[in-house]
Amino acid sequence: MPPIKNTKVSTYLPRLGLSALILCLISGIILTFYYRPMGNVFQNVEEITTLVPYGWFFRQFHYISGQVFVILMLIHTLDHFLKKRYLSYSTGQWFLLILSLCICFFVLFTGFVLKGDKEGFFAGQIFMNILRAIPIAGEWLSKLFIVPGEDFFFLPYLYHCFFLPILLIYLIREHIREWLPDQKALFAGAAGLFLYALIVKPHVDVPPDAAVDMVKGPWFFLGIQTLLKIMHPVLAGLFIPGLFVLCVLILPKTGTAWGRALYYLITTAFCLYGILTFRAIIWGP
Amino acid sequence: MERREFIGKGIKRIFYAIGAIILAYPAFSFMKFRKSRKKRIIFHPDEQTSIVNFKKGVFLLRQGSENYALSDRCTHLGCSLNYDPVSQRFSCPCHGSVFDVTGKWLSGPAKKDLYRVPMTKKANGDIIVTITL
Ligand code: HEM
Ligand code: FES
Repeated sequence: MPPIKNTKVSTYLPRLGLSALILCLISGIILTFYYRPMGNVFQNVEEITTLVPYGWFFRQFHYISGQVFVILMLIHTLDHFLKKRYLSYSTGQWFLLILSLCICFFVLFTGFVLKGDKEGFFAGQIFMNILRAIPIAGEWLSKLFIVPGEDFFFLPYLYHCFFLPILLIYLIREHIREWLPDQKALFAGAAGLFLYALIVKPHVDVPPDAAVDMVKGPWFFLGIQTLLKIMHPVLAGLFIPGLFVLCVLILPKTGTAWGRALYYLITTAFCLYGILTFRAIIWGP
Repeated sequence: MERREFIGKGIKRIFYAIGAIILAYPAFSFMKFRKSRKKRIIFHPDEQTSIVNFKKGVFLLRQGSENYALSDRCTHLGCSLNYDPVSQRFSCPCHGSVFDVTGKWLSGPAKKDLYRVPMTKKANGDIIVTITL
C-alpha cells in the first residue's frame, strides 16, 4: 500500500457532508409536522411554502442540505476511488459503504417524489412502472415500494422519512464515529445552508394537472431519462445502473490486471454518464 | 474442519433458510396486499360537448356520433399525456411518445396504443367511465 495523502478534499468535504446530513435530518423532522402523504399532497406542500410560518425556509433548507449532503458523499466516494483507497478496505466494508451511497440517492429520489408536484408525481409513476416491467416478480416487487391510487405517496414517505435514513445511519455508524463531534464543520455548514435557504428563491412547483411540454426527472437520473427514450425500461432503469454498481462493488476483490481494467471501465462509464447528464441539462433529456 | 462439524453447520444453515422462508412468505404476502379499487368518473352532458373532453385522467372523445374513452396514461411508463388540438395528437412530456386522436401509437418508446377504458351511457345523457387502480 502506498502512503495515503490527506488532501483538503479528503478531510473537509466529508465533515461538511456529515453536518449537512445532521441539518437535513433536523429540518426533515420539522417538515413532517405539517406534511401529509395522503389526500392532495401538492396542496399540502404549497401550504407549507405559503401558509405555514417559515415553511418556505424549512423546505428550502431541507432541500439544499439534502442535495449538499449527497453531492458531498458522491465527491467523497470519488476521492476514495481515484486514490484507490478501496484497496485498504475489506470487501464487506466497501460493499456496505457503496450500498450507503446508493441509499443516499434513493433518499434524494423519494424526496423528489414527495414534493407531489408534476415532476414528483411523474417520477414516482415512472419508478413504479419500471419495477412492474421486471419479468415475473415485477408486479409484486413494485408494491413493496410504491402503489397507485390514494396511497401513492405513502410508501415513498415511509422510505424517505424512516426506513432509509435509519438504515443509512446504521450502516455508516462506525465510519463516521471519529468525526462526529466536529463543531467547526457543523457551524460552517449550518451558516452556509442557512444563508442559501434565506437568499435563494425555491423554484416554482408545477401542479400535477398542468400541461407542460417537457417534464424532467431529478438531476442524477437525467441520463437514465435519456436512455429510457431508446432502451427497454428494465435495461435502462435497472440493469445498466445495477451492472455499474456491481462493477464498483467487486472492485477491491479483483486482482491487479483485472482490477486496472475494471477501474478504467468504471471511470469511462462514469464520464459517459456525466456527459449524458450535462447534455440533458442543457438540451433536455 | 471436522467432517461432522461441517455437516452440523450445513444442517443448521438449512434450518435457518427454512425458518427465513416460513417468516418471509406471510410477511411479503401482507406487505404486497392491496384491495383492488375502481374509480368512477362521470361526464355530464355539458362536459361532453367538445371533440376531446378531459376529466380526472380520462379523455372522452367524439367521432361522428360515436364516443370512446382513453386513459391519459402513456403506455410507456405512465406519465399523463398532453392533447394538442392543432395537430390533434397526444404527446408525452416524459420521453416524447406521440399518439393520434384515436389512441394509436405513432412514435416514441411507448410502442403500444393507448388503453381504451370501458364506459356506459345513462338515459339522462351522463357517460360513466370506470378505471381500475
Ligand atoms: C438522508 C437524508 C435526507 C435527504 C438527503 C433528504 C432530501 C430531500 C429532498 C431533496 C426533498 C425534496 C425537497 C424539494 O425538492 O422541495 C425532500 C423532501 C422531504 N423530506 Fe427529506 N431528506 C432526508 C431525510 C428526511 C427525513 C429524516 C425526514 C423526516 C423525518 C424528511 C422529510 C421530508 C419531507 C416531509 C419532504 C417533503 C416536503 C418537501 O418537498 O419539501 N427527509 N427530502
Ligand atoms: S412515459 Fe410517455 S414516453 Fe415514457
